[in-house]
Amino acid sequence: MERTDRAHVEELERDNAALRAALREAEEANQAKSRFLSSMSHDIRTPMNAIVGMTAIALSHIDEKARVQDCLSKIQTASSHLMSLVNDVLDMSRIDSGRMTLNQEDFSLADLLHDAAVLLRPQAAQKEQDLAFHTGGIREEHLTGDPLRLRQILVNIIGNAIKYTQAGGSIQVELSQRPAGADTVWLDFSCRDNGIGMSQEFLGRIFLPFERVRSGAVSKIEGTGLGMSIVKKLVDSMGGQISVESREGAGSRFTVALPLAVSRKDRREPALPAGQTVLVAESQEERAGQIMDCLRDSGLEPVRLDSGLEAVTRLTEARYEKQMPCALLLGQELADMQPLDLAAHVRQLAGASFPILLVSEDDWALIEYRATRAGVSAFVPCPLFRSRLLDTLSSVTAGSGENSSTLGGPDEDYSGSRVLLVEDNELNQEIAMELLGMTGVQVEVAGDGAQALEKFRQSPEGYYDIIFMDVQMPVMDGYEATRQIRRLSREDAGGVWIVAMTANAFVEDVRQARQAGMNEHISKPVDVDRLLDILRTQLKPKAVKG
Amino acid sequence: MRPYQEEYLANLRQFAALSHRELPGTLSFDEYAARLQHRSAETARLGRRNIELLREGLFPTLDDLFNAGPDQLADLREFSFQLFGGQTELDVGLFCQIHRALLSLARQKQDRAAMIRELYWLGMGRNSLCSKLVGLELEDIEKYINQMRLCFTEAAAYLKYYDEIEDDETRGYILRARANIALGQFHTPSEKIQLVKGTLQILQDKHYQELSPGLPWDRFIYLTHQNMASSISYEKSRVMSPQDMEAIMESVYIVYHRQIQEAREQHKRPPVRSAFNYSVIEYYCGIISLDQLLRRTEDLLDAADPADFSPEGMYAIASLPAFYSQYLQQFPDRVSSRKEYLDQLYLRILRYVDTCPRELGEGRLFLYLRQLSFTYVETDSGIPYGELLQKLMLRFATEVYLHSLVVAEGARTLCGIILEDDPGFFDDIDFIRAIGDPEEKRRAVLDFAGGCGLFHDAGKISVIELFSLTARQWFEVEYEMARLHTLAGEALLASRPSTSRYAAAALGHHAWYDGSRGYPSAYRRLECPARQMVDVIALVDWLEASTSPTQMYNGPEQTLEEAVQTAVQLEGRRFSPLLTARLQNGRVVEQLRLAFEAGRQDAYRQIYEDGLQAAPSPG
Repeated sequence: MERTDRAHVEELERDNAALRAALREAEEANQAKSRFLSSMSHDIRTPMNAIVGMTAIALSHIDEKARVQDCLSKIQTASSHLMSLVNDVLDMSRIDSGRMTLNQEDFSLADLLHDAAVLLRPQAAQKEQDLAFHTGGIREEHLTGDPLRLRQILVNIIGNAIKYTQAGGSIQVELSQRPAGADTVWLDFSCRDNGIGMSQEFLGRIFLPFERVRSGAVSKIEGTGLGMSIVKKLVDSMGGQISVESREGAGSRFTVALPLAVSRKDRREPALPAGQTVLVAESQEERAGQIMDCLRDSGLEPVRLDSGLEAVTRLTEARYEKQMPCALLLGQELADMQPLDLAAHVRQLAGASFPILLVSEDDWALIEYRATRAGVSAFVPCPLFRSRLLDTLSSVTAGSGENSSTLGGPDEDYSGSRVLLVEDNELNQEIAMELLGMTGVQVEVAGDGAQALEKFRQSPEGYYDIIFMDVQMPVMDGYEATRQIRRLSREDAGGVWIVAMTANAFVEDVRQARQAGMNEHISKPVDVDRLLDILRTQLKPKAVKG
Repeated sequence: MRPYQEEYLANLRQFAALSHRELPGTLSFDEYAARLQHRSAETARLGRRNIELLREGLFPTLDDLFNAGPDQLADLREFSFQLFGGQTELDVGLFCQIHRALLSLARQKQDRAAMIRELYWLGMGRNSLCSKLVGLELEDIEKYINQMRLCFTEAAAYLKYYDEIEDDETRGYILRARANIALGQFHTPSEKIQLVKGTLQILQDKHYQELSPGLPWDRFIYLTHQNMASSISYEKSRVMSPQDMEAIMESVYIVYHRQIQEAREQHKRPPVRSAFNYSVIEYYCGIISLDQLLRRTEDLLDAADPADFSPEGMYAIASLPAFYSQYLQQFPDRVSSRKEYLDQLYLRILRYVDTCPRELGEGRLFLYLRQLSFTYVETDSGIPYGELLQKLMLRFATEVYLHSLVVAEGARTLCGIILEDDPGFFDDIDFIRAIGDPEEKRRAVLDFAGGCGLFHDAGKISVIELFSLTARQWFEVEYEMARLHTLAGEALLASRPSTSRYAAAALGHHAWYDGSRGYPSAYRRLECPARQMVDVIALVDWLEASTSPTQMYNGPEQTLEEAVQTAVQLEGRRFSPLLTARLQNGRVVEQLRLAFEAGRQDAYRQIYEDGLQAAPSPG
């Protein structure tokens, strides 16, 4: 009896212990889930903020097609990221249960990285961090694999680095490739930060679900705690490797190696003026080096310049000797001035047809107005990829022979567009027609405001893309003609782009032109480059559509 | 020249004469106030007439410049060199406008000599405009310096073709352009030193000299050494290579050392400027310590004669303290042992300003005092910084002072009206919220409004010539430069304890309420705790400026009723709806009108009394 009782008690104690353990496990699981639910907000909010913000910007610039397009494309990027994020939870269970399949499709690494950068840069900028992408080691840009999952890996790792790095810190992302066999490469990706780092103890758990670094310094950091475990599982399922090194207070370094097939799709090499000189104005060694390598590999002769003063000296000499380079690539930094200050002067010096490309990490939508006003012809976004650089260079230099003096390349062929030139002075008419004519744009002329009004009234809707309007004219001046055009009851009366051309350059004159309904004001004598800047800005969509 | 050009120039001279303050002499206050009003009306009339002249005469010429005949172009050039050139600086903005057009013409015609010449002169004009932006951070004005420097660089690039250019005039332009690339500020002394060294090599090259024996090579070389030796002293960075030091010391020897030696040999005191610059260079090159530099400067300051109103005397009394203060500002640990000395030094300067005969180097004295206003070290026992600013505006920028006092009175009035309805309206401002007693709070708000009004345009001191010497509306670039007064004002006020609370008003008074427009972008309304007061200043400043006849720079004047109507139309966008709502009440508008008038009278009274104390002009 005694033994039976003791056995019974022991059994009860065992049961109790098991129950206590089960309860603790249940509570821990519950806590983890609660923590997960309450902390998910950040990862969801980040793309949501982008969507809300970009929608507001688009609404406030609803008439600016290019701006709205840009916002929409960013909204698209953010929403697809949001979608993938919401899917994180499902992913986990899908991966765990072996139900996840990887896509095999052709994709552009340049596009993929650009999309990731669009999403991540604002976060880093908000914390004034130095987020740099080093892509010099990429040789094969067109690959086959699952781009969505690859982007998920990159965004998760870099996003984490941003999150766990203090304001003003540095995040260095490096991508390179090495051969992995016939038609396959290893994509090596590393992300190094100087953030809070992780303890050795945590490093052992980093790839477990719902685990996040806890530290007084980062109490406000939110997240699902799923990212790293998904990354690990994705890398594993792609046949890759992931490793992490970290030291508390010193930062972390994630390294991923993924085998990817090289896309077999035929790609046409961009047409470039082989053997011609391209000036590269960039003072930062690594960036300049990468640009120079791309150009050299493509048969061009790049010449590096550190400063704006050097660039102007070189271009003045080249122009005088009729040995102009085929383009100027303006980088992110110069030793002595802002690249756009240089662009403005070069545009005057080198004339309207000379291609000036801006290679920049800046968001084009934010700098487009200033850059095009300064005379920049085209933009190459960073992270820099060979294809982007060469395609853009090709588009602005195609057809340019040595010492070419014609205006522009295909980007400045506006033969599908029509402008109305309103000018009473015959010589001015002649000069403007000659200059505009070289771009292929169809030019019609009116001798005064009344004629312009009549021509516009008689034309079908949408017939004129731009009206260049002199201000001082007999019969009817430019202000009155603009007012009357704007008052016409036809769809395009309010929208047609009207540019005042006048020597009246007081602040008040600019204002008066705007009040009359003109969109822009350019000073006389008209600089060809300003004229073409306007064509570039206003007719670009048409030119692109070709 | 054409009649419109002659008339324009005559108007500019008359305008400049009117901008010199007239002393009351034996006039009563009423007579003097009437005289001031008449002068304001006259300057406004001249401005309007000049705008007409340009519209009717110059703009049509520029409009049709490609058709202009040689006579017309020659007249235009002659006109431009009357506006600016040599010692004349009547209208640099217009000079630049003309030469920009002439450069376009030269480019169009591909006329190399004309391009070089126009690039040089456009560079000179731009350099002059840059030199009017005093005391601003390099990043704020870098764009304009680059525009200037790139003009000179392009002209200088033709040096490569020096041999094939035959006329000495064009060669001279190329060489001067090469030297002038080094004008203006740089990020590091080294950048400038390299450029000047390059220029010196070219100027000392026998090949060039033999090709153009008629050019004044010695003068070119001396001026280049002067450029190397003088402005280096204003650079803050001490990082210099041994090669840089060697280059500077050589220039210093040529420019200063010789002068000092000669003075010593003749048992005379060395020129103050040379002695100081020489010491500064020695300091920058590590030959003497900061304390030695400060002691040497103190010796020079002590030896200065407060009754010497010659340029040399003025430099010693008013300019040298600005540089002395600059070092103390950079090294605040050196201030405590020099507090008393500083206080006495500043007192001496203000006494000097009072005793300096008017029209005797007024412009120079103002320049020196402006420099001092940027480097002034405020101590708890000395003259409060605001007092110095007030003195500067009253004496040298009368129109700015007048406007500021009117805005101050208007702001006090509007704040008084607001407090009647809503005593807690300004409680976002920490020091206002902390005051419990309603009457004391009211007094504090009104004092704050007065101070914000008085100092909101303090930054105009940095760009004063754009206001005081422009007898017409601004061109776009001038308007853009004038906007810098907000940043300059904030920088001046924020860095001194007694004025720091007014800095937000200086920064934000041209920003729009909804942030959609206005300037500067550095002002973020929602992050500014004093935003309600900044809103008040923004509105009152705009109303006063729009209704003042002398505010011609960016548009015609309006009546107060018209301005109020416009302000109400801009409700919620440019102006706070909480304020414009009050403008719907006719009584409020009437009170503002009276406040503006009272402010004006107060300003006239102060100008009158200051004038009575002033020393008479010599002769």
